[in-house]
Amino acid sequence: MSDRNRELNLVDALRALPLQAPERSAWPELAAKLRDTKIGEVQKHERVRRFVVPAALAAALAGVFILTYRVTPAPPATATIAPPAASSSMNSVNVDSARLAVLQQRSQDLERWLRATGEAAMPLQGQDLVAATEIENLIGLVDVELAAPQEMRDAGLWQRRVALLEDLSVLRYSNYQLAAGGGHVLAAGLTN
Amino acid sequence: MPQSLLARACAGELGAFEQIYRRFERPVYTLALRILGEPEAARDALHDAMLKVFQRINTFRGESPFWGWLRQIALNEALMRLRQHDRAETSDELDAFVDEAPGPSVHADATTLERALARLPAQTRSVLWLYHVEGYSHPEIAALVGKTVSFSKSQVARGTQRLREIIEPTAGPVSCLIAIAN
Repeated sequence: MSDRNRELNLVDALRALPLQAPERSAWPELAAKLRDTKIGEVQKHERVRRFVVPAALAAALAGVFILTYRVTPAPPATATIAPPAASSSMNSVNVDSARLAVLQQRSQDLERWLRATGEAAMPLQGQDLVAATEIENLIGLVDVELAAPQEMRDAGLWQRRVALLEDLSVLRYSNYQLAAGGGHVLAAGLTN
Repeated sequence: MPQSLLARACAGELGAFEQIYRRFERPVYTLALRILGEPEAARDALHDAMLKVFQRINTFRGESPFWGWLRQIALNEALMRLRQHDRAETSDELDAFVDEAPGPSVHADATTLERALARLPAQTRSVLWLYHVEGYSHPEIAALVGKTVSFSKSQVARGTQRLREIIEPTAGPVSCLIAIAN
């Protein structure tokens, strides 16, 4: 049997593995939590979104500011997406597609930067990790929506994706700077 | 996923949540177990992922399959736990893997494959599973686990090779796995 066929067989066997179930259902605990502390949990979740994420971002920004101010002039840690200048003759379809292209390019740049710095950055911990996970969750949910049929997507989703990636970049950037002793030149992902 | 069930869940009906939980308990738990490799950790991930799903169910716009939406939340939950675990135990290297168990070819069935999977390093098993079973591409996996595309490719190649070595130490056929696993 060739290696390729053996690999296919192995893949088939992996896919054919039966689903597993936990020894004890998680539902009783989940139901109790939903029943008794539903409001509390929602409020906690909201606290994470409203306070922990902004607090972590603020702390990261402060770290970036201190490091870059003291050690080396660095490019801005975030960037705004300037919509492409639209001439009066340009129709709305062209404007939308151009804006979409800008957002998609920006998204790619940020992802590339995050990948490139992932290895060099110190592991996120505590509040930063919670915030990063929350942001990654939200990016994942945007990606699920972006996987919908073409006609149902809009530039708003891409705008949201870029904004979340920028938030994540700020968090990562501070760790990257700290890991690099503050002297690293920031990759192109954040300089646009 | 029936729209009526989704609507009831969005309205906060506990019975609807339970139906959704029952429907997706096994897929979510299995995914978490493949990533984390530990039943109790997988159960915790299942619990927390489902809680997030119920808290966010009003944000699901219905433009994509519900399972895809739920799976993303479950996957992120499991990967976050894996990252925390990896920091605690940094010796999770494939090269350091020591095979001390008896050759599994005697019982080459689904259970053997499960056990072989469980013996791979968590990171390798996760990447292997995401690529071969969940259908993620290497760039997608790289983004998910915060590593490079090369890392994803090498983990799949080495993990596949290692899995094959565990299952068929004397290069026996894997096809028997399929017949029994099916």
